[in-house]
Amino acid sequence: MSIYKHSYRAYTGRLTPVWSRVFVLVRYGFSEIWSSKITIVLFTLSLLPSIFFLFGIYLANNPLARALVGAKNVGFTSIDAGYFLAMLQIHCWLALVLTSWIAPRLITFDLADNALPVMLSHPISRFGYVAGKFIALFSSLSAITWVPCLLLFCYQAYASPQGWTGNHLRLAAGLFAGALIWILFLSILGIALSSWVKWRMVATGIIIAAIFIPAGVGGVVSGVLRTKWGMLLNLPITMSLLWQRLLGAAPSSLGRRVDLPTSAIVFSLLLAAVGCVAMLNARIRAREMVRG
Amino acid sequence: MEVIELDGLQVRLGSRTVLDGLTGVLKGRAIGLLGPNGAGKSTLINTLLGFHDPSQGTARVFGLDTREHKAEIRGRVGYMPENDSFIGNMSGVRFVRYMAELAGLPAKPALERAHEALFYVGLGEVRYRSVNTYSLGMKQLVKLAQALVHGPKLLILDEPTNGLDPIARQRMIQLVREVRDDGEVRLLISSHLLRDIDETCDEVLILKNGKLAALCNLDEERSSNRSFLELETVGATERFTVGIRGLGCEVACFPGGRIKLVLPERVESRDLYVIAAEQGVQIRRMNRRRDSLEDIFLKAMDSDVGRPTDVYL
Amino acid sequence: MNDRIIFDDVSKFYGEVLGVNRITLSLPPGVTTLVGPNGSGKTTLMNLMTGLVQPSSGHISVLGVAPDNATEFFRTVGYCTQFDTFPRGLTGFQFVMDSLMLHGISAAQATKLAAQSLGRVNLGDAAGRRIAGYSKGMRQKIRLAQAIAHHPKVLILDEPLNGLDPMARAELLELFQELGRQGMHLLISSHILEEVDRISDRVVLITGGYLIAVGNIHQVRQEVREKPMQVIVRCQHPELLASKMFAIHHCVEARIHPDGKGVFLRTGDVDQFYSMLNDIAAEGAIKIDTVAPADDDANAIYQYLIGSDGSAS
Repeated sequence: MSIYKHSYRAYTGRLTPVWSRVFVLVRYGFSEIWSSKITIVLFTLSLLPSIFFLFGIYLANNPLARALVGAKNVGFTSIDAGYFLAMLQIHCWLALVLTSWIAPRLITFDLADNALPVMLSHPISRFGYVAGKFIALFSSLSAITWVPCLLLFCYQAYASPQGWTGNHLRLAAGLFAGALIWILFLSILGIALSSWVKWRMVATGIIIAAIFIPAGVGGVVSGVLRTKWGMLLNLPITMSLLWQRLLGAAPSSLGRRVDLPTSAIVFSLLLAAVGCVAMLNARIRAREMVRG
Repeated sequence: MEVIELDGLQVRLGSRTVLDGLTGVLKGRAIGLLGPNGAGKSTLINTLLGFHDPSQGTARVFGLDTREHKAEIRGRVGYMPENDSFIGNMSGVRFVRYMAELAGLPAKPALERAHEALFYVGLGEVRYRSVNTYSLGMKQLVKLAQALVHGPKLLILDEPTNGLDPIARQRMIQLVREVRDDGEVRLLISSHLLRDIDETCDEVLILKNGKLAALCNLDEERSSNRSFLELETVGATERFTVGIRGLGCEVACFPGGRIKLVLPERVESRDLYVIAAEQGVQIRRMNRRRDSLEDIFLKAMDSDVGRPTDVYL
Repeated sequence: MNDRIIFDDVSKFYGEVLGVNRITLSLPPGVTTLVGPNGSGKTTLMNLMTGLVQPSSGHISVLGVAPDNATEFFRTVGYCTQFDTFPRGLTGFQFVMDSLMLHGISAAQATKLAAQSLGRVNLGDAAGRRIAGYSKGMRQKIRLAQAIAHHPKVLILDEPLNGLDPMARAELLELFQELGRQGMHLLISSHILEEVDRISDRVVLITGGYLIAVGNIHQVRQEVREKPMQVIVRCQHPELLASKMFAIHHCVEARIHPDGKGVFLRTGDVDQFYSMLNDIAAEGAIKIDTVAPADDDANAIYQYLIGSDGSAS
């Protein structure tokens, strides 16, 4: 028999378990994110601060090095909650920039040519689809927030004198929790806003705007109604307060003026997240609903 | 083996009842889905895929309930939607491979099968280009490739020849017939072109206003239509018609020398030729009436006022 | 001649890209079918005919009116495109009304004409709804309504039956035929050749930007000399029939059908062929089941003249 006929044949091999399909989405999501040079640039930029903080920790723990550098003042920097608070804040706000670039790449390509009906006709539910994108985004953001922060903490623990670690374990927990809350929120926000808009650049702008515009509105509300509750809309302020409290740092002057209870802050974050889920529910569908 | 079982299926979208009281069992190798616009064909397909839940009644695919076994059903179904549905910035191979992995194939077999499927539908070097640079015909083929790649048991094709030029259309029909004849896959084809359905399907489900208007087996219908004839003649058609009537046939005469007739029991085609030869009439075309599908469709739609009496294949 | 659409050596280039090259046409009233693969220049030809683009060289005259005389030109011509986009937020009725008022027709008159044309395409009850909510078939119909509303003398239709169910197709085909009989010029482009075959008076084949053939289908077929006319005869003993045909010298080729119950016969002289066939049938030695020309339609002409080279890949 020398002629090979290639006709249709059924697949008889092994199938992967249904739950692992989510990870197919994660894998392809990563590949989509990292195929862009700008992602690499942003990622690198987001890790640069870590180097400075690393240097700072080194200097703080090595008087010799300090002398060499010429920073003789004792109050140079003490590695305390304030230091880690600054670290956390910088990393987290850079994470926002990265989210605004990455999140649209995850969703908009799928929605641009209406790929959802075909994708959802496979054994993956809408929830699985969103979960896959969420995990991809969350993992990427983790790599530039709590992972470097905790690593820096470990370095500090290693470099600092005995007993420092024991007294400051709360810092590690605070770093982890603070970063986690923020990137969980960013992930769901990024995905929801990207699914709402058709063009990537617009989605990028909207994600950034979504953080800062309510801040402005909040300021207005507070000013007009003479209440502090308007500031709940001001994410930079509320997140600062939250991180401050998680790390046990001394409240800043702004923090003393605007004293919002932690529960209110957490509640407002949850509410926003629920709103995002509702947005996703409306947009991630196998079929477009047209009214009228 | 039943492919699709519907039992009192009712589907509501918002406040509208789109499908109502659908009951029937579909067993054919290739099932045609027909109906006027808005009859509920897309909704039925979406319900089978689990995109809509029935508000009453059930729908089963290969015995699995669409409400409870969505993942299993979707794993066995390949869907080729009517509209554009792909990820534009991926290459053809990557897209088909992605879909294969979503369907459960491990990464390596997914790549192998993706290439196999693309070869089978006839997409050559284009498979390495981004899908959004494809022509319409190529996009249709890529959609078919992704539907076939995981070896589904049921292939759902929604307007597979949409927008294709005549040659590509023939190729698509040929491909569909090959898949059907291979025997491993059942097909559900929704189309507005009666001819496409006639050339590929052996069972037909006709919907009207969300209700079942007809469900029949085409093979049976075709074999029972043997004595209906259509002729095209050149020459003295009128006299010829009279002559045929004399034989006992029911005859209807149309412009352009077209004649439709029913042959009674003992009359054969030869007798027609004898009369034609006597009168110097040439019979240029003689067809057993192939339009069982048109008949079935028209009957299912009921007689509306002002509708033309002939719907051609 | 003021009742013709005339193209005189018309070419259209988009920068370097070829639209159409050196087209010469003279179309009388009636239904003309425009046939060709995707990307062959059909849409360019239609755009030239409706005055939407100007030719790079050559002259166009539609019923004596040149495209530079825009107001007169657009009043004479009605265009139904294949593209599925509409101004946002309009209802069907508003869309047709707006098009009419653009022609300078008063609002009262426009209302009447709009209602008329909506009635003709059977879209009266849905006209008050927004176009965004229409199904594909309805959007097709509203485009058509807009094209015929101002009673143009020339109607150019680009794939007008796309997405319509079989009954709507039959209705509209009858409408087109009626309009052709009334003396309008219709140019219909479609891929479903067997449908437009039935109503068209002549066919225009185009591929790669060049005209391949113009004329009545049977005429064109006869002129394709390299391929003598093919007829398929189904009967019990095809080999017997073939040998008889060879014996009478009117058959140049005979090919037995793969299922053994029919034979493809090619002949150079159609008239003699059929007379001979009739005689053989009347003799009775061979019982004839069906007779049909195998390639006297637009599909066959398409295959022969355009073939697979014409389609992009």
